[in-house]
Amino acid sequence: MRIRLEPHWTKRLLELPESGMGYQRVDIRLVDGRELKDVVVFNAEEIEVPDEFARAQIKDVRLHAA
Amino acid sequence: MLRLTDSNTRALLAQPESGMGYQVVEATLSDYKTKRGVAYNAELLLFEEEPRRIMLSTPYLKLLESARSATGEIKSLRVISRATVTTLSAREPSGAAVQKKAGPATDGPKEKTKADEVFKRFSAYPNDRRVASDRSLLAGTYATTEEDAKNVKTGTDAVARYALPDPAPASNVFTIRPNKDTDIQRGIVEPAFGQPGGGVEVIFTNGTQPKTVTGPTKIPDA
Repeated sequence: MRIRLEPHWTKRLLELPESGMGYQRVDIRLVDGRELKDVVVFNAEEIEVPDEFARAQIKDVRLHAA
Repeated sequence: MLRLTDSNTRALLAQPESGMGYQVVEATLSDYKTKRGVAYNAELLLFEEEPRRIMLSTPYLKLLESARSATGEIKSLRVISRATVTTLSAREPSGAAVQKKAGPATDGPKEKTKADEVFKRFSAYPNDRRVASDRSLLAGTYATTEEDAKNVKTGTDAVARYALPDPAPASNVFTIRPNKDTDIQRGIVEPAFGQPGGGVEVIFTNGTQPKTVTGPTKIPDA
């Protein structure tokens, strides 16, 4: 499912390069300590995550190192 | 070892082989971890840590029958391109000489744009966030050449040619006319997200200058 990122994450992602036209591949760290690797953010504002992460709180977002 | 689903097979068949009858792939698993392996005949996946000897000692069909189903285990499969070791020269349809690098733009040499060079960016989003309010492109933004964009008639074409992860048609077309000597890297889009890729990609490593982006214009979705 897709969730909308908070504006400060969008601002941060816009300072980072794209991975392809219109998207970025990122790793995210959650407040509860879990991590998601190589997930896609569309247009720096929507992130595709498994359904069980719908309410997850993001602690950090970094570009995925290929 | 996994017996791939019909959906996995379709995704692999849309991507090139690594050799006759097999594809070297990176699988994104249901937990979003990635693992590499070899997919045989687009239907049987052997992960790299699994011994290959079994391929010699057991008939293929028996292996296929006995393999665990990949249902629910794989989010996506991407063939890992070997093209980065190969460089091709090519000409675009206009006849303009273009050095096509058979690898992604991030691996391409650093170049400068020529005077009056034009680029296009296909986007599913009319409010494309990489286009700044002063009509510049942000640093690290991707586009394609004007010539390559001529291969794209619909937003769905763009999704396939530029291997975009969002299946929504990229029907909004921005036009970029950067100043001469703007920093870029060129490459060829690799297969990804079940899309074949193959288009020219250009990354504006430091973005573009104000008032260099116009649009979007709209092309048909499909």
